[in-house]
Amino acid sequence: MGDQLEFIQLEVMVVALGLLVLLADLFLSESARRSLGYLAAGSLGLVFLLSFRGGYTSLVDGEAFGGIYRLDGLALFFKRFFLLTAIFVLVFAVDFASRLRSGVSEYLAFILFALSGMMFAGSANDFSLLFVAIELITVTFYILVSFQRHRMQSLEAGVKYLILGAVSSAFLVYGIALVFGEAGSLKFDAIRDAHARLLQNKVFLFGMLFVFAGLAFKISAFPFQIWAPDVYQGAPTPTTTFLAVGSKAAGFVLLIRLFGSVVPELTEQWTGMLIVVAALTILYGNLCALPQRNLKRLLAYSGIANAGYLLMGIVAQSDNGTAAILYYLVGYLFTLVAAFMIINLVTREGEGEDISCLAGLNKRSPFLAVALTLCAVSLAGIPPLAGFFGKFLLVKSVAAEAFGNTGYFALLAVAVFGVVVSIYYYFGIIRTIYWSKDTLDNSPVAIAWPTRMVLGLCVAAILYLGILPDKPINWANAATKIETK
Amino acid sequence: MEPTLSQYLLVSGALFAIGLLGVIVRRNLLIIYMSLELMLNAANVALVAMSRFNEKAETALDGQVMVFFIITVAAAEVSVGLALIVALYRKRQTTDVADLATMKL
Repeated sequence: MGDQLEFIQLEVMVVALGLLVLLADLFLSESARRSLGYLAAGSLGLVFLLSFRGGYTSLVDGEAFGGIYRLDGLALFFKRFFLLTAIFVLVFAVDFASRLRSGVSEYLAFILFALSGMMFAGSANDFSLLFVAIELITVTFYILVSFQRHRMQSLEAGVKYLILGAVSSAFLVYGIALVFGEAGSLKFDAIRDAHARLLQNKVFLFGMLFVFAGLAFKISAFPFQIWAPDVYQGAPTPTTTFLAVGSKAAGFVLLIRLFGSVVPELTEQWTGMLIVVAALTILYGNLCALPQRNLKRLLAYSGIANAGYLLMGIVAQSDNGTAAILYYLVGYLFTLVAAFMIINLVTREGEGEDISCLAGLNKRSPFLAVALTLCAVSLAGIPPLAGFFGKFLLVKSVAAEAFGNTGYFALLAVAVFGVVVSIYYYFGIIRTIYWSKDTLDNSPVAIAWPTRMVLGLCVAAILYLGILPDKPINWANAATKIETK
Repeated sequence: MEPTLSQYLLVSGALFAIGLLGVIVRRNLLIIYMSLELMLNAANVALVAMSRFNEKAETALDGQVMVFFIITVAAAEVSVGLALIVALYRKRQTTDVADLATMKL
């Protein structure tokens, strides 16, 4: 049993940290609670470093709990990814604490519990762990989204996420039931062996379709994207960040594992459907983003479009496609964290996040202006930043498989069209920062030093990933060498 | 007469369809929530039936174990969901979904 627990040591530490935060809340004064977030972020940084320890990395490619839990390169990569995301979100949450009004420590603890769910999702090698991990994430997010109970928008976002999230869970569970009935097991290894003979079995196909629908909800792919704009807009901004990066990445790690390595032949059979879903997601996200004035809503639609680009990596059905997804997600992490942090800094509570609040930002804080410009340019996919290189790798992975398949070429055309459309609305942000005349507020923006550090790190990472992509690509490639035993 | 697997699945499919219809058609949040529970329980019926008629002895009980996970998770989901609906009711004195439209375009 002891050696089994070794596999889940990072998750155990994260959960323990969450409980400690809840306990500490009882003994701390109001002012000390504020720094609790920094303390938790620092501890997570320690957990992040521990994941590089030889004693832990030597466990890679091992399984625990009867093959339910699998620790491989992909799982390790995503665990580190989620830890990094949560560190940034915790720092962000301290900035946001005054707007939460109550229960700041609970907010921090729920971030940690959701993080443990994401880390379990990265290692899920069985439908039961997949389900429990996804529900741990989703149920925690119901609370995180509706945390500002005094704001109607936050509650409304919470209820919308609750109803639609529960519908998607029901689909997921029903799909799992059908797959279990035909394949005779919940274990991914058994399904991998059985799925080749089930490719014409209607019940199994329906089951996998339902499972796909449940996961597509998490990544907000068309036609399961309805919730995203309202929830992103209404939720507290740190939650929005965590939802946009962490929850989406959790959906993708499960999609990669399930459709990349467990049922590859089914994925091949469904190539046409996946192409249509990816193309419609890209089109829907980019076209709906055009008229948006609310910055969080704009980023929600851009997030839908980005889910479409990421799906291209699944469509490619190759190791290069998977590596491109990982690379793109890392770039996306730094870009979105920086963008949401800046939006939070320049807006005031109760005023909404209208794009006009960015006017004159270059005079109020040149650093924030440059950082947000870099984010917008990176999201638009203009060289030499992280977003460009990620999109380039995704397009390349699809193009490499494209010969003899017209659908792939259509998808590439849609992707390029989407990028061109997106340049318009991302440059709307930059135009407002530098050239908008109607400045309401000229006061300089105060930034706490941890926030300044995170922002600096994000900007550095966006530049690094774009200019010197060789090393990160090698890491991504190494992480995709998962394959089965 | 022993019921067959397909009869069980028919019941479970009907439950799922009724639940989905309830979520789409009804306007009251509590009724929608009840319908969601119906959908989850449809999956439970399917899992138990599939488990009962599974020929592989070593994984036959997996489905039944999964049902316990689903029941537990559904309980957690309900407690959070009802708390949320109560919070909403305190704020707006309504549980009608038509009143949830402050965010548009």
